[in-house]
Formats: sequence, structure tokens, C-alpha cells
Amino acid sequence: MSLAALALLILGLGLIAWVAARAKAMSFGSTGQARQHSLPNYHGWYVALWAVLPALFFLTIWSSVSGGLVTQTVLESPAAASLPAMEMQRDAILDEARRLAEGRIDAAFNPEAEALAPIYAEATSFYSLIGSSIALLLAFAAGAFAFTRLSPTFRARTRVERLVMASLLIASLIAILTTLGIVLSLLFESLRFFSMVSPVEFLFGLNWSPQMAIRADQAGSSGAFGAIPLFWGTIFIGAIIAMIVAIPLGLMSAIYLTQYASGRVRAWMKPALEMLAGVPTVVYGYFAALTVAPAIRDFAVTIGIPGASSESALAAGLVMGIMIIPFVSSMADDSIAAVPQAMRDGSLAMGATTSETIRRVLVPAALPGVVGGVLLAVSRAIGETMIVVMAAGLAANLTANPFQSVTTVTTQIVQLLTGDQEFDSAKTLAAFALGLVLFIITLLLNIVALRVVKKYREAYD
Amino acid sequence: MTDMSDTGMSDIAAGQRVLNEAAPKMIARDVDVFYGDKKAIDNVSIDIALENVTAFIGPSGCGKSTFLRALNRMNDTIASARVTGKIELDGEDIYSSGMDVVQLRARVGMVFQKPNPFPKSIYENVAYGPRIHGLASGKADMDQIVEKSLKRAGLWEEVKDRLAESGTALSGGQQQRLCIARAIAVDPEVILMDEPCSALDPIATAKIEELIHELRGRYAIVIVTHNMQQAARVSQRTAFFHLGNLVEYGDTSEIFTNPRATRTKDYITGRYG
Amino acid sequence: MTNTTHAEPRRTPTNWNDQAMQERIRGRYASERRFRLLGLFAVLLSAGFLAFLLVTMAANGARGFTQTEVRVEVDFAKSALFIDPAALEGFGADAALAGADIDGAVQTAVRAQYGESADGLLSDAAWLRVRDAILEDPALLNRSETFWLPARSGLDQAAKSDGSAADEQIYRQLDDQDSVRTGFNLGFLTGADATDPTVVGIWGAFKGSLFTMLVTLALAFPIGVLSAIYLEEYAPRNRWTDLIEVSINNLAAVPSIIFGLLGLAVFLNFMHLPRSAPLVGGITLALMTMPVIVIAGRNAIKSVPPSIRDAALGVGASRVQVVFHHVLPLALPGILTGTIIGMARALGETAPLLMIGMRAFIASPPGGFTEPATVLPVQIFLWSDEVSRGFVEKTSAAIIVLLAFLLAMNGLAIYLRNKFERRW
Repeated sequence: MSLAALALLILGLGLIAWVAARAKAMSFGSTGQARQHSLPNYHGWYVALWAVLPALFFLTIWSSVSGGLVTQTVLESPAAASLPAMEMQRDAILDEARRLAEGRIDAAFNPEAEALAPIYAEATSFYSLIGSSIALLLAFAAGAFAFTRLSPTFRARTRVERLVMASLLIASLIAILTTLGIVLSLLFESLRFFSMVSPVEFLFGLNWSPQMAIRADQAGSSGAFGAIPLFWGTIFIGAIIAMIVAIPLGLMSAIYLTQYASGRVRAWMKPALEMLAGVPTVVYGYFAALTVAPAIRDFAVTIGIPGASSESALAAGLVMGIMIIPFVSSMADDSIAAVPQAMRDGSLAMGATTSETIRRVLVPAALPGVVGGVLLAVSRAIGETMIVVMAAGLAANLTANPFQSVTTVTTQIVQLLTGDQEFDSAKTLAAFALGLVLFIITLLLNIVALRVVKKYREAYD
Repeated sequence: MTDMSDTGMSDIAAGQRVLNEAAPKMIARDVDVFYGDKKAIDNVSIDIALENVTAFIGPSGCGKSTFLRALNRMNDTIASARVTGKIELDGEDIYSSGMDVVQLRARVGMVFQKPNPFPKSIYENVAYGPRIHGLASGKADMDQIVEKSLKRAGLWEEVKDRLAESGTALSGGQQQRLCIARAIAVDPEVILMDEPCSALDPIATAKIEELIHELRGRYAIVIVTHNMQQAARVSQRTAFFHLGNLVEYGDTSEIFTNPRATRTKDYITGRYG
Repeated sequence: MTNTTHAEPRRTPTNWNDQAMQERIRGRYASERRFRLLGLFAVLLSAGFLAFLLVTMAANGARGFTQTEVRVEVDFAKSALFIDPAALEGFGADAALAGADIDGAVQTAVRAQYGESADGLLSDAAWLRVRDAILEDPALLNRSETFWLPARSGLDQAAKSDGSAADEQIYRQLDDQDSVRTGFNLGFLTGADATDPTVVGIWGAFKGSLFTMLVTLALAFPIGVLSAIYLEEYAPRNRWTDLIEVSINNLAAVPSIIFGLLGLAVFLNFMHLPRSAPLVGGITLALMTMPVIVIAGRNAIKSVPPSIRDAALGVGASRVQVVFHHVLPLALPGILTGTIIGMARALGETAPLLMIGMRAFIASPPGGFTEPATVLPVQIFLWSDEVSRGFVEKTSAAIIVLLAFLLAMNGLAIYLRNKFERRW
């Protein structure tokens, strides 16, 4: 019996349990006893949950171990004695035998697989039979147990609600689990990386060329993992060029839309700016690579800048800046709106013009909020991947020439982890070390930014 | 002028005398103020005399603050607000196209209900107006303007050693006096005060009232208040507003001792408000 | 209060009509105008970027939806093609057709029609269309039939006035004979990835996106809503709750590629879930989307006034009943809006999916949640890397499809917000 069919069967059992328990609870009402504690529906739910949950829980566990049990049985069979000892070859044959047994392929490449297939099919059906019977038995037993507990005074609702509360708690714990998963997986893989490459070299080295030699006697067989050029490239594109574009445009847009624009203009332009934030980053990346980068290279060549590359820091940073505009503008918008109207009135009543009021009172007063927003924008920019992957290039240059190619942390993570390689090499693990650095930096930026913004909000509340 | 700074009663008497001599600084004729379709001020005509304190009293929502904001065109900042009729400053229509609102507001200063110092240093708060209007010729000149304004506002002794501290760090009463100093730093001719003491404790209120006495000789002061004792203490003329109408306007002593309109009488005797 | 004020001389009023003062005021108004123009310029520039981006994509992409086809007459009866019509019944059909040299027969027909030099007229995959036609109607094998077959990429470019001079020359010749036409490329919407730009389609990637989004929605929505309810309605004020809140707020700001690393390390290398599968992609994106839904959900729940809760508690409802009967239905529009926005973001996400191997070349649409698949944004990324000129318009066309979906989702979110927004 397939897993899905079994699960459906158990759910069906749950439905029967629900109906039966509800009917029983309804009959309590007619016996004329004292008011029962819970509505019949809750009795129904109580029994149904007992019937379904333990069985489904068992099935989940069983489906994850049964595969191993089947393989074990097959390997212990006499026909498996002829299998090659090498694990990879053996696994390939076993895999083929399994697909043969499941009827997904008609013929096998390896003759051994043909021989193993019937054994495989047999073992699979054997274990599936065991699993199914235990699951169904569990559903019946638990359902029956719950059914016998029903009585007019039984607090079915309290128990059902307790389960609801438990599921709420479990759901909210998933956030912690995810954070923990991120931290642990990054830390664990990074530690393995740092056992191969010294952290000092990684954090302060100036040379990045992670290509590993194929033969041990090759020159430079360990690769170079100095990440400073990557950090510089990330900062250059995300925190410098992108911000030079995004801060003035975002701030001025926010000022114009909140202080000058008429209602109609605001109603149209605000969503238009927000749309910039909704465009997927891969589209920006394509735009940068297809349109912006060639134009910038041509421009650089025209004005005679040496080392102009078709994958320039400027192209990536410029487009990233455009992507960040709505982010800066909405943070600036919020911060300026949080400045009390009295400040504005106070300045206008002194005879200041609107722009004097904005420049000398509103913006300085909103500055902490704007700074917090910019920090968040920087954190968003340095974690951005697709634009730099598609437009920034792979050359780990340590240069301040915006027309040259630089590479970033995220570009290298993608570069190191795509393509075929073994998982345990220093090259692959380096991606996790880079990920760890990125995670820590963005986390710090966010904590600082949120604290600044919060303090600022409190000042005017 | 020096003889006017002692008790309230003699002030009112003195005020009456001054009133008779002073030429009106501002004149309002048939002024209506609308918020969208709603009429907030209905046909108000009033003269604001120089070197006098004029009090606007009336129950909340009677339009006294709205009318005050019409006097330096602060209503311009509300998109739906519209003013008709004529308001003149020294014979010049402030709503005419030739009137520069920036200049107008420099000449007609304003102090708000809630102290609203800018989140800058005390010095910068006072220097803000002279700086934007270009009234100081240099650093020394600016220092002098700041000191003079803070002295006039009676705040100098309290803050002279900490001019670089933030204006928002001061107490409520000090903040309000800072706002007054900020207003007089640009050398206005009229000062509008919109319930300047409503957010302050009695001691701070007394200080502000004393300050208003001091300033009276230099500026035409208009104060909105819903505290009738305050109006009686500080003003020479009182205007009573009700439901957007100017019900009665006259010498403060007259209004409080012998009101002509029944609505005024009911209000000052506490029937409503 | 000092008494020094009285000793000061009477003030001399500022002379506003002074020449210098008037100059100064004019200058201030000029700077006011400049500042205002600067603001307008910033808004227009930002909007201009958006317009330029959309126009570039639309201009490139519109051509991706059309296809140039060449008329080829294949006379099966005379061709060297031999296929047993009986073999075309049932399961052996694919094998039988694969064995026959249909490609050769088509090439012969082209040569017969357009001369010996016409070898490279058709797309490499053009014969597949002939094969499908035969499969549908084996009777074709006995007669001659006219086909419109996709032209090779260079010719397709020439038809759109973007090809090399030689190709344009060929195209003009064909056009004069009425042997070429350009029409809507249905194959682009129904096909999957291919090596030849003339026959690629996005249905495969679209289906991958669909499967991935289903997994994401099925996980992120319930978990997000339940977390939001817990945090807003039941959570005690303690360290654990603080930890949950901090985690959620930080997860919302973690770069998406970090989620990809998590997926790679935990789901692929630790739990051994299938690589490149929508299942893993969906779980990864769900972890990313969940915080967005939690934050939107909490705001929506927060905006339901306490009086409603009090009223329900007052008639004896339990705390669970209060939430599920009263609070949740009222907060649902807000939650749905947040969910749609979160899903739109997930739909456009690329980087984390690259990490878990969804960048493979997938030539047939995925059949299930555990089969290798790719998604729309990754497909765009893969095509953008292709050197062939023909992929440029296909990439832009795929972008148009993706943007259309995102626009529709965001539009729906705005509609929901406007329709159900309630002020208490």
C-alpha cells in the first residue's frame, strides 16, 4: 500500500471516529443528566485526533527508517553476495534495482540489478505490510481508548484546546529552530574550513584564488583563501556605489513625495517607486548585464579609462542602488513623518521657507531614523546576490577603480557551490565561512539599525 | 512704560489708557475661514493695537486659534483651509499676492500651545531665525542677538552656561521661554501666542505671564487662552469668540466687569465652556 | 527675570524693504525652487529607471513570443523514410520513430526545395515537430505534407531585423517566395528548456515554480499564522518569547543566500532530501517567507480592537474560541495581504535555489515534488548566461511572464487591502 493511500485511510478512520464520538456525545444530552461540559463537536475532535495523530506520527518515523531496513534485508540476501565492494558502484546497482522493483524503468543496465529486483520488491512489500498494519492498529487502538473516555462530564474541549495551544507553541518555535539551523550549519562547516585554512589568512589575506589543484604535486596546491578582496568588493559595490545612488535619490524622492507633491502625484508615484522594490533581483541582474554594463564600458573606453571591464563594479553598484531606492525612500518617509508637526509649524512660523524647514529642521530631526534606514539598506545591499553574480564578475581585484571588475562575498558563495565538486573540499567549505561572515555582518547592521530607529521613535512618542 | 509692571489691576487701567492712544497694528475686516466646506470663522472684524496685549477667549473649538493662525497665514500649511475678507498689517493686505509670506511670518511671530523647540542646541534654536533671514552680520553679532533674545525671554541666567545643550533637555516652562526667545530673535512686530501656558505648571505659567508683561512695551501681543483669569491678568483688550463668531471685543476690565452680550456673561460666570 | 530689558533702547525695526534684504529673499525663493525641482528630478529619475527597465524588457521580450517558420514540403512516400505503421500503435512508437531518420528526411526535403546551400535553414529541433505530426496521424507517411517548421536562430533574428547581413539576405529571398512566416510562438508557453533558443519554452520552469510555491505556501502560511497568533495572543512575557521575537525579526533581514546555505547543509547534506527538487526549494523558501507572514499577521491581529475579545470572553468563550471565532476572521484580510506579498517575493527569489541545485538543465517539465526542476527566475538566470543571440529575447520574454505574475499578485494584495481594510 502506498504511503499516501495509507495516510488517506487513516484520515478516513479519523472521520469515522469523529462521527461516532459526536453521536455518542449527542446521546448524553438525551439522557437528561446534568449539562455536559463540552459540545459534541469537541468530543468528536478529541477522538478523531487520538485516532489520527499517533498513527501519522508513527508513519512519519516508519517511512524514514523503512528504506534502510529494506536495503539491509536486500544486502543480507544471498544474491547480494556478488555485489562489488566499492560503495559507489554498489549504491548505483541498488538504486537501479529499486527503480526496477518500483516499475519506474523497464530494463536495467547492470545484470546484478535484475537479480536483486525481485528481492527488493519482496522486502519492500514485507516492510510496507508491517508498517501499514502497525499504523492501522495504532489508529484503532488509540481511537478506541479515547472513545471509552467520553462521558458527559469529560472535558473534551479543554483537551482539544490544549493541543491547539501546543501546536501554536510548536509553530512559533520553528523560527528559533531556523535561526539555530542557520547558525549551527554555518558554524559547523566554517570550523571544518578553519581546520584547513587559518582564520587569520582568511580574514586578512589579500589573495583570493580558491581553485584547488587536482594533483598533490601541482604548484600552489592549497589555493589561496584571503578574503579581503571579496570584503572590499562587497563594500565597494553595496555600501559605497549603491548608496551614492540610493541615498540622494531615495531621500529626495521621499522629501518631494511627502512635502511637496499633490495628492494625485503622490497616489501614482509612491506605488511606482514601490514597484522598483518588487522587481525580482534576477531581472535587475539581467538589466545590469545586458544594458547597463556595456554602456558603462563604452563610456569608460570613450573617456580613456584604463582597465575598463564589461563587468564593472559601477554597473553592479548602480543597478543595486536603483533597487535600494524604494527601501531608503520608505525608511526616510517614515522617519520624516515621525517628526512632530509642531517642529514644522515652529519653523514655518519663524518665516522659514519649506526647503529651509526641511533642510534645517525636518531632516536633522529625522536623521537618526534615516541613518537607521540607511544601515538596513546597506545590510540588504551587501547580502544581495543575483545582481552581483550577473554583473560584477569573478576577478578578486583590490581596486578602487569603479570601471574595473571586482567580486563580492555572495558572488563567490554562488561560484564556489555551483558546479560539481566534492562537499568536503576547502573550496566548498569556504563558501560557508563566507556565509558566516555575511550573516554576522548583516545581523550586526540590523541590530544597530533597529536600535537606532527604535530609540528615535521613542524620542517623539 | 516702567510703571506698568507691578499689579494686575493697575495694568488693566493703564492698558485702557494706552489703547486710546495706540494706532492699530493689524486690522481684520469681515474675515471668514473655511476648512473645506466647513466655516470655522464667520465674519470677524477686529483691530490689534500696538504695545498692547490682546486676549482671545472662548470655549474650546470656538475658532480663536483658527483666527490666530490666519493672522500670520499659518493656515496656508493646511491644504483645505481658505481665508476670505481682509487682514492688514500696517495697512498692507497680508493675503494679497504682493505679500511675501516669509517676510510676514518674520514680522508676525508665533508661539505654540506645546513648547516645540527644535532638536538642536539652545543656541541654535535661538539663532535659527536670524540665520535664515540673514539678520546677523557675523559670529559676534549672532552671539549678541542670542544673548539679547534669551535675556528678554528671561532665560539667560538659567542657560548661559549650557548654550550647547539640546533645547529639548530643558523643562517645559524653560522650553516655552526658549520658544519665545526664538520668536523675538527675528525682531518681530507682532507676537501671536496660542495658549502658551496650557501645557505648563502654575509656576512656569506665572513666569511666562510675567514675561508677557515685560514684552508688552515692545510688541503687539495676541494671546489665545481659555483661562479667563489669565486673560484678566495679562491683557488690556479681550475678544470673546463663540462658535466662530466674535461676540464681544473691548477693554479687558470692561468685558470682565460689565459684559454687554449675554453669551459673554454666561461664559465668564462659568455657565459653559 | 532681569530688569535690564527696560534699560535697552527701543528696537529699530528690521527694514524688510532694504535692497539687500529684498535680494536675499529673492535668493531664498530661488533656492526653494531649486530644492523642489531637485526633489521632482529624483522622483522622475527613479520612476524613469523603472520605465526604462520595463521598456527594455518589453522591447526585447515581445520578440521572444514570436517565431519565424519556414515552409517545408515533405513527401513521405518518396522519402527514404521507412516506418512500419504498425509499430506506431502502442508503446513502441517512441522507439520506432527515434530509430527512423526523420531529421534526414526533413533535411532532404529542404535541400530539394531550397537548393544544396540551404542546409542550415531550420532549427536543429525542427524535425521534432514532424515526428509529433506523424505520431498523431500515421497516415501522413503515405503522402506529401506541407509543414511550417521553426527557422534557425540566426534566421529568426534576421526576421526581426536584428540578424547578420547574410541571414537577412537569405530571409529576404525566402520572404519573396512566401516561404517564411512569423507568428505567435505557442511553443514558448508550452515547452521546456532546450539547447536551441528557437524551441525553448517556459512551461517547465513555470511548473517548477508552481510546485515550489505550493510547498512554500503549505508550510509558511500555517506556521506563520499560528506563530503570529501565539505571539500576539498567548505568549507570556518571558525570555523565550523574546527569543522567538528576536529570531523572527532577524530572519526577516537575513540575506536570502544564507537560507540557500542552510538548505544545502541541512536538507541536502544532512537529511539527504532529493537535490534540485521543488520539495527542498519550497521548504527553503518557506523558512524565508514565514517571518514575513508572521510580521504581517501580528500587525493584522494587533489591529483587531480588544473590545471584540472582551465581548467574546464576556459571553463565556474560551481563549481559543475567542481567537479562532472572532480575532482570526477579522485579521484574515491583513494576513492574506502579507502572505501574498511574501509569496510574490519568494516567486522572484533566485539565489537560495541556486544553492540547492535547482539550476540544472531540465528539458522536460517536472512531474512531482521530488523530481528535478527549475523555477522561472532561475531559468531566466540560466538563459541570461547563454551566449547565443537568440536567448536574449527569450530571457526578456521569460522576464515579462515573471513580472506579469508578480504584478498580478501584488495587484491582488492591494485589492484585498483596499477592499477589506477596516478602521476601528
